Amino acid sequence: MKVVYNGLKDFVDVTASPQEVASRLALSGTNIAGVEIGPHGPVIDAEVSSNRPDCLGHYGIAREVGAIYKLPLKHVSPKPAESAAKTSDAVKVEIQAPELCGRFTARVIRNVKIQPSPKWLKDRLEASGVASISNVVDISNYVMLELGHPLHTFDYDKVRDHKIVVRRAKQNEKMRTLDGMERQFDSNLCMISDGDGSRAIGIGGIMGGVETEISFSTKNVLIECAWFEPVAIRRAARFLKLHTEASTRFGRGADPEMAELASRRAAELILQLAGGELLSGVVDVYPGKRAPKKIRVTRAEILRVMGTDVPDKQIEASLSALGFAPVRIDQNRGAEGSLLAAWECTQPSWRAEVEREIDLIEEIARIYGLDKFPPRLPAARQGAARLPHYEAETRLRERLIGLGYREILTIPHVAEERDALFRPSGVSPARLSNPLSEEVNVLRATGIVTMAAALEWNLNHGQRNARLFEIGRHYRLNGSESAETRVLTIGATGEAREKGLYDAARDFSFADLKGDLDSIGELAGGFHWDDGGADWLHAARRSSVKLNSVISSEARNLSSLGVAGQLARRVAEKLKLRQDVFLAELELDPVYAAMRAAKEARRYEPLPRFPSVERDFSLLLADGTKFSDVTKTIQSLGIKEISAVEATDLFRGKNVPAGKYSLLVRVTFQSREATLTEAQIGDYSRKIISALEKHLGAQLRAS
Amino acid sequence: MSGILEKTELTFQQLGASSEAEVDRLFAEIEEFLESEQIGDRETFRVLWASDKKGVLTKIRNNWLRAAPPSTRRWIGPRLEKLTHSVAFKLKTYVERQVEGEGSGERVDLSLPGVIRSVGSHHLIRQVFQEIEGIFFSIGFSVVEGPEIETPYYNFEALNIPEFHPVRDDMDTFYLDLPKDAKTPLLLRTHTSPMQIRTMEKQKPPVRVIVPGKVYRRDNPDATHSFAFHQIEGLAVDTDITFCDFTGTIEYFVKQFFGPSVKTRFRPSYFPFTEPSVEFDVSCPFCGGTGTSAGGGTCSKCKGAAWIELFGAGMVDPAVYGFVNYDAKKVSGFAFGIGIDRLAMLKYGIDDIQVFFQNDVRFLRQFP
Repeated sequence: MKVVYNGLKDFVDVTASPQEVASRLALSGTNIAGVEIGPHGPVIDAEVSSNRPDCLGHYGIAREVGAIYKLPLKHVSPKPAESAAKTSDAVKVEIQAPELCGRFTARVIRNVKIQPSPKWLKDRLEASGVASISNVVDISNYVMLELGHPLHTFDYDKVRDHKIVVRRAKQNEKMRTLDGMERQFDSNLCMISDGDGSRAIGIGGIMGGVETEISFSTKNVLIECAWFEPVAIRRAARFLKLHTEASTRFGRGADPEMAELASRRAAELILQLAGGELLSGVVDVYPGKRAPKKIRVTRAEILRVMGTDVPDKQIEASLSALGFAPVRIDQNRGAEGSLLAAWECTQPSWRAEVEREIDLIEEIARIYGLDKFPPRLPAARQGAARLPHYEAETRLRERLIGLGYREILTIPHVAEERDALFRPSGVSPARLSNPLSEEVNVLRATGIVTMAAALEWNLNHGQRNARLFEIGRHYRLNGSESAETRVLTIGATGEAREKGLYDAARDFSFADLKGDLDSIGELAGGFHWDDGGADWLHAARRSSVKLNSVISSEARNLSSLGVAGQLARRVAEKLKLRQDVFLAELELDPVYAAMRAAKEARRYEPLPRFPSVERDFSLLLADGTKFSDVTKTIQSLGIKEISAVEATDLFRGKNVPAGKYSLLVRVTFQSREATLTEAQIGDYSRKIISALEKHLGAQLRAS
Repeated sequence: MSGILEKTELTFQQLGASSEAEVDRLFAEIEEFLESEQIGDRETFRVLWASDKKGVLTKIRNNWLRAAPPSTRRWIGPRLEKLTHSVAFKLKTYVERQVEGEGSGERVDLSLPGVIRSVGSHHLIRQVFQEIEGIFFSIGFSVVEGPEIETPYYNFEALNIPEFHPVRDDMDTFYLDLPKDAKTPLLLRTHTSPMQIRTMEKQKPPVRVIVPGKVYRRDNPDATHSFAFHQIEGLAVDTDITFCDFTGTIEYFVKQFFGPSVKTRFRPSYFPFTEPSVEFDVSCPFCGGTGTSAGGGTCSKCKGAAWIELFGAGMVDPAVYGFVNYDAKKVSGFAFGIGIDRLAMLKYGIDDIQVFFQNDVRFLRQFP
């Protein structure tokens, strides 16, 4: 709403500068976008909130200014000269849909001269950002900007039978509106029709029709000034996708009492600028007339909600200036500042949204000034709690960051086609019914899809080395219910170690991914790596990941936490990822639970008092023999002094015959009772070698 | 003292040592001798102690360790290992001591970088979340989370936003495509406020929570708009919470976040679920609330306004209590919704909201 400063002065004798007025308005509840000094004087750009339709006119803003500066509001009381002929003989109005149209007033002016508006009117409209058309049309716009109430003018002679019928639209009824569009309606819309009601000549409260439009040949004018039901108007505007100055005002709730006044004001201006003869009286059909509501406000409630008192005089002055006509009604009426003070107020017709005591308290507070309520910090009465998984998530995140991963945040909207690449079979995606585009039409069913996109972005921007993680959610549908699951997604590509002064470069590999994930697993009692994994992963370098605690429990058949591995080349190809990419996704709630359990179960193990001894075994093993076969074989000997079995070197080729590989295994012996003797170590070593030879066909290599 | 060197020529048996205590004594003598060595020529030291053929270490290994019966050997091994480490350390520090003494030799180039072990980073939005959560946690706010896919009831109706309410026009909403038999439509929450309702449904007053999370509005993306962004909701309800407690809490937060010198300002505003409602401004922390930048021009952060609009808030509208069976006559409270992305952009001078979601490592690296 462009508030023309000089227009404001028509209604209140404010002397403060436009900037000052704007700033005071802002601090009392009218948001101000700015103040401009235009060619026609200063203009305050007010962003009126949707609950204040009364401020969509200069008169309403002037009322606010009056309340702030304690200046009287100059009331509007137009008294246009009327002829002897009666309006009620010239036009008939019938409201068939009183639930949509609460009031309809009509006035008729004969023998007007439609012509361009005078300069002052053009200037005033231009300052408000409205184009000038002709005097009569301009006047209806001007009065709307002045008083905040929309009007419509018809060419009286084109209204059949000079009769208006306000009714619901017929299903699929059509009409061409003033903007030249042919529009179709449904029965929730309120139509203005003429004659027997069969022809629509306007959409009530939104826009008129072309057939009865004012033109330069119009002689006689019918002024409509009505009141329409706000919810119906909002619904209609949305249905039609047609938002007009009129629909905004009626949709937020215009003042039904203003209808007749605004019509009279328009008549006065038409007589002044277009001449003619105003018929006497007004046709006013007002089925929606309501008695004003009474609302009470008490000092006790002001104190309870606001925490600080407001003086009686302030309360009464603010409420009076805003039109609430406060009356003290308590027993202690004489006592200023009484804690028992209560006022009965009358809801003004332009403030339908003020219905409750709290609404009046807001009115009092905003005019009094919010800065008058001293800030204080309330005492906490109970302990505060973090999220249940806060500690686990924090440790997880910090561990990942320590491992070199950067946290990312993504938008879950992705293209269905992309999502489908990674979506497990049988999973229903959460599709949007109104996506912004086909590129973002579904919520990701896995975090992988957005992780891949983040890697893609980096590769496309010359960033070849990236290790990323996201703690987020994936979204799926179970029938018509939604399921959001917390997941950790990991993505890595390029070098695990970049070349520097001291180290050579090394590419990120499956082993990096496995090691990094196992570092997380360590917090959760360990991960178990199993054959499986998604089909979008490389068949030779993928795994499903499970919790050790699950593997060893009854619930061993539970589905895995997730998958990890190298992205399959064919998928990488499709995404134009031109280097090896490693991805993993784990469900977090079970990980968090396992982390908590592992933490609770952890106990100190006394440090050994005796030295440990390491022995290396250089083995020649057949391809297909796994490291886990070696460890199981060694462990099956039941030697309790064996504290660790590690693989320390692995190679093929050179001196190693085809079909075999060489594995260096380091076994650590540790006794809790005594220092181990050479003889004991020798004995254990012989047992280990013979078991490996016997069960795995391993050969001991001479080192 | 040189007597000990001669002893290394003999075996334990020849020395007549047969107990662990005697082994200990011999090694103590050796260690003492090593400690007493004066700084001299490094090569002389090396030949005496560490030469492969005739060094002390070699002699001990051959004469004491290898010649010993297994029962004695286990006493010797670890002690020899310890001695070997001591000798190696002395050899190494010879070089350093010479540098200290003579001011010459190979010195590290301090301008060369050290070995950088690559570590990761928190996303900037996460850092801001953590900072704000910490501030509110310190004054008794618990942290809760809620679903991003919501029902219209929680996102709108229970927050006093009935269908066709004009405020819905400002919150263009994504809806899910559901099977025809779905009981309720589902939408992507347009604010974190639904958790006000969910929290109060579960819990009787006193309530003091914050809700960090993602929210969605169907806006076309540009430098200042993203259809997904982040909020922290706050809610405090009790029998004695007033507007003064509300402004005090917000002021505390802002001074913690932007520094103690910022001034705060509350302007009346409108939200259907708060009454009175306010917009909350801070004096521009970048120009000190003058509107003028250090160089003399208009401050680019507040555009000369001296104030920056931060977020909307207010006292919980009594109508909301009706939806959660709270007695509006007995309880009162406040709620606020802080936009995290905007705050981060403001604080760190980011001019395009999209960088948060592109996750370019060059961006991520800037906020370790």
